[in-house]
Amino acid sequence: MRIRQALILFLCFGVSALTAAQSGSKPAAAQSLPVATSSVSTDTLLSGGPAAWKQIAVKRVALNRTPPLYDTDEPATLDIPSVDVRLARAGGKLLVQLTWHDATQDATVLAEVPNTPPETRFRKVQTEINDRFFDAAAVMFSKQPATGAITPSLQMGDAEHPVEIYYWNATRGAMLMQAQGRGTTRRTGQIFPASGAYQSGQWSVTFELPDLPAGTPLAFAVWNGNQKDRDGRKYFSVWQVLE
Amino acid sequence: MSKHQYAMVMDLNKCLGCQTCTIACKKLWTDRDGTGYMYWNNVETRPGLGYPRQWDRIGGGWKDGALQPSPLPTMDDYGHAWEYNYEQRLYEGKKQPVMPSPEPRSGVNWDEDVGSLNANENYFFYLPRICNHCTYPACLEACPRKAIYKRDEDGIVVIDQDRCQGYRYCIKACPYKKIYFNEVTGKSEKCIFCYPRLEKGQVNACAAQCPGRLRFVGLLDDPESPVHKLVLVHKIALPLFPEKGTQPNVFYVPPFNPPKRENYGKSILEDSRLPLDYLLYLFGPEVKDVITRLEAELRKAQEGGRSEVLQLLIGRDAETRYHVRPQLVQIQL
Repeated sequence: MRIRQALILFLCFGVSALTAAQSGSKPAAAQSLPVATSSVSTDTLLSGGPAAWKQIAVKRVALNRTPPLYDTDEPATLDIPSVDVRLARAGGKLLVQLTWHDATQDATVLAEVPNTPPETRFRKVQTEINDRFFDAAAVMFSKQPATGAITPSLQMGDAEHPVEIYYWNATRGAMLMQAQGRGTTRRTGQIFPASGAYQSGQWSVTFELPDLPAGTPLAFAVWNGNQKDRDGRKYFSVWQVLE
Repeated sequence: MSKHQYAMVMDLNKCLGCQTCTIACKKLWTDRDGTGYMYWNNVETRPGLGYPRQWDRIGGGWKDGALQPSPLPTMDDYGHAWEYNYEQRLYEGKKQPVMPSPEPRSGVNWDEDVGSLNANENYFFYLPRICNHCTYPACLEACPRKAIYKRDEDGIVVIDQDRCQGYRYCIKACPYKKIYFNEVTGKSEKCIFCYPRLEKGQVNACAAQCPGRLRFVGLLDDPESPVHKLVLVHKIALPLFPEKGTQPNVFYVPPFNPPKRENYGKSILEDSRLPLDYLLYLFGPEVKDVITRLEAELRKAQEGGRSEVLQLLIGRDAETRYHVRPQLVQIQL
């Protein structure tokens, strides 16, 4: 089973890596990400309103679906074919806005847990539903710039290319993760500024990243909670390179 | 495989269905936020739907070396945790009666004592359940985060709460549905075989509190332990659903009494009140041999002889029932 999975993963991820390698030291135009410089404040950009972002060029990035990782996985659809990406430098930060169509809003507001030990309380906060999953998105980048034929592994980086993952969940909010290869992802315990809004069948999520130099490889991922996406069960893009 | 393996034997002929084990576990481990619906230890009436409902029929486990698919049980299957309006009634002067909310429609012990009929004779028995701390845990294999591990020193299967991301593949994979998702923490939880107690020389809370004295605890590989004797020497305890392929380390002495009316003295294998097919379903084909051995021991005692097996099963004192070895614990920094 493991060998078959490895072959499938190589076919899916390896091909994109080879394509990048053949393109030489400069990323193909199809894989470069334009970045605007914005005079708008980071707070305004973070609020995510269309007015703040309308001047920023949009890049439509194709999304792929990870192959079934386990024999027991339920089938998944390909109903989110792409994500629109906008990038702006402002206030010494890199703001990234991802917009994608999702027919279902899988998000909730969980009850707040009182800041007192549960044993001192008459009532506990209860699990309301145990089998729901939430929409989510992430931006992954490697601090190692893409050089020549060498690109970081799309499977959460590799030993030579550790990656930072800025992950946003429609219910649980933003959390910063780090990884250096598949299965190594860990939460750092840190959060970062982010905002998300769902309107008319569309998510628009804005991430505040540290300013990143040109040549930084970025990849994007989207999870559709409605089809129980979580973990590697998701939509992903191949590496895009910051202009 | 671990160096050693803690195991538990439960004698189903002695279970009273009193739920003292359930409450002991609940008060100790799952009286926290997000855990109201979860019972790491539960006692269900068989034949019955079980907890979560139909857990034994929905999938998981191994077949031919591959994990088997399973849906996630829903809250309706577990039963929503409900609260009573004590505050309004007792402190706020409201006149309405004390009522649960949300309205209970299923629960951990919903079909208590319902039983079934076999040729107009009623039968049921209680089945206490905890995590089986399997030798080949399907949950461990299913976790992409490697958050689940089997402790090398004693074989107890635990979930690292720092690594768990709440993906719930483990819940699907477990054929016994003994892992629960805590939506408040966003992580999955399960029975930890009371390892903090064992490390201090105390037996599991569910066993310590059991008025029926039906639980036996010890290392499977320790010749002095009662579980070693019951499972490997006397061979009168069997795991639940062995065909699920996980090799559980919780074993049951199958229920074999009472006989049908006017059948006193006959073997359960001849004409039983408790349908043999149902025991075969739960414990596999070996249950016939186990019942034959148990009946032989019973006959020996009834004829005035001394049965070591029955003396052990009576389990008069804690020293007989438990053999905890705290010195096995290795401190891992």
